[in-house]
Amino acid sequence: MMDFSLSSQQQEQVERARTFTKEWIAPKAVEYDRTGEFPLEICREAFKQGLMNPHVPAEYGGTPHTVLDHCLVLEELATGCSGIATAIDANGLSQYPVILAGTDDQKRRFLAPMTETLQFSAYAVTEPEAGSDVSRVKTTATRVGNDYLLNGIKWWITNGSVASWYFVLARAEEKSTAFIVPADTPGIIRGPKEINLGQHASNTVRVSFEDVKVSAENRLGEEGEGFQIAMKTFDHTRPGVASGANGITKAALNIALSYAKRRRTFDKKLISNQGISFKLAEMATRLDAAKYLTYRAAWLFDRGEDNAREAAEAKWFAADVAMQAAIECAQVLGGYGFTTEMPAEKLIRDAKIYQIYEGATEIQKMIIVGKLMRMKEVY
Amino acid sequence: MIGDVRRLVAKVAERFKGKFYGRTFRCPVCHLELALVDADGNRLMVCPLCGVVLDVEEVYGHAVPVVLEVELHRPQPKMRVHPMATHVPIGLYPFAVLGVGLLLLASLLAPLLPGIQPLLAKAPTVSGATLVLLILSVGLSVVTLGSGLWDWNRRYRRRPYRQIRIKIVFSIAFLVLGAVAIGLHASGAAFSTTTGLVDLASPLAVVLAAAEMAVLTAGMVVIATLGHIGGTLVFGR
Repeated sequence: MMDFSLSSQQQEQVERARTFTKEWIAPKAVEYDRTGEFPLEICREAFKQGLMNPHVPAEYGGTPHTVLDHCLVLEELATGCSGIATAIDANGLSQYPVILAGTDDQKRRFLAPMTETLQFSAYAVTEPEAGSDVSRVKTTATRVGNDYLLNGIKWWITNGSVASWYFVLARAEEKSTAFIVPADTPGIIRGPKEINLGQHASNTVRVSFEDVKVSAENRLGEEGEGFQIAMKTFDHTRPGVASGANGITKAALNIALSYAKRRRTFDKKLISNQGISFKLAEMATRLDAAKYLTYRAAWLFDRGEDNAREAAEAKWFAADVAMQAAIECAQVLGGYGFTTEMPAEKLIRDAKIYQIYEGATEIQKMIIVGKLMRMKEVY
Repeated sequence: MIGDVRRLVAKVAERFKGKFYGRTFRCPVCHLELALVDADGNRLMVCPLCGVVLDVEEVYGHAVPVVLEVELHRPQPKMRVHPMATHVPIGLYPFAVLGVGLLLLASLLAPLLPGIQPLLAKAPTVSGATLVLLILSVGLSVVTLGSGLWDWNRRYRRRPYRQIRIKIVFSIAFLVLGAVAIGLHASGAAFSTTTGLVDLASPLAVVLAAAEMAVLTAGMVVIATLGHIGGTLVFGR
């Protein structure tokens, strides 16, 4: 039996997230995009309304959430502004390795406080010379007694300036090892905010580690398990990233549709031109396809099944659909799509990152092919 | 330091805007910041600066204005009285504030610096000039307000723009504050009519002088805000 409907609880969550988006995110999206300020006020409200940290298990103060629930909520938030949605949701990327491989003590020390007060955490894996190729990470973790000394540079760390702890991937005797590092540890230097193409509200910085002492109690899993932990995290988070991209597509479709229904050209409504209306039909269809790929990847994860291929499919497809939709939205708006006074150009800038972060589109395709190679037949 | 002050002023201005304008969006043609509530029941509004007719709809919380038409042949301000009249109060008033500030400073420094006594002889003249400046700036602002209302009626066809509402309210506030300041200054209760200075031995005089300065400062903020809003209505962002 296949059921595409949402449960009443999910429907309620979506409605709540939509209201929050319309009241708090979308009206301030332009302002935060212009100033590049971190949207602390919005995060504070999101925390108050229970829209942050959906990943944290109930026994550590979280609320029971499935990945699918999270995707539905994130899609709504990103429809308002994907940069602000990233600021609200980025905790998940660093929390999940702790959920996956952390001890009870680590979960109590690092996850539970995040459900009590507004706090941020960051996933510090990417390095200047190691982006998609995570195995090239060069940060070292040298064992000194019961501690490790971390040295290295992490790059493009989302929420890096505001995080109270970092998930860090380093090399301990050439073995990829994961750590939880409190942000107030001496030796951590946070760089200035990067001025990126889009998602200006999202805080992205360089974080340097200079002889940062980390207790072995803060090591996640065993030495050598870091890469697996970091990669396994993506099976959980990639449907969420795809949802963010779907939010952009939804915003692009809504803006283009609203504009095309009201703007007049050649004595008729813009939407009456087939060239324009077909664009809208294509955007809507692609959005549906991307959404269902995303929901399926999330649903498989929630069932405890391997979703690596489906998550990769959802992530690359949704990202490409968002990029295309944003460009088409600008095209529908004509010259107004090119001005900074209309929301279309921001969507283009914001969409691009979805084709790059949490594994570039090409990496997703490699994952898919890797899975296909192990199959005799594809059903 | 200057950057911090600018950021603080910008934050205060943002809060002020949020309170009085509510949700805003920018005209896609002239970039003037417009209040969403100024659109009529059919979501239509005419940009007061560039005259484009906008159909503005909120879609998923995003304000999406669509340009439907351009209002050509808009009546020009009558003899441009208002733009000229605005410069009289805004040009004279700061000097009146400066005059009161100098008199206050001189009153405070007189007991501490006996060497400035010869300068204090000019205090009654400064006080008198300050009063004249105050009367001129506040009195002529009646012309500014009147001509502004005339322009609103003609050029803007009495459309309910948030900017113009604030201008009207602030103009009246400026008149009230100005009248209070004139009353205080002319009474001689704060600044003596004979010496031009505050009698520091009289607590009432000190309080009234401080009150006059506070009223004038408030008036300065009001007139600066008026000038800023008026400027954006003429020159845009």
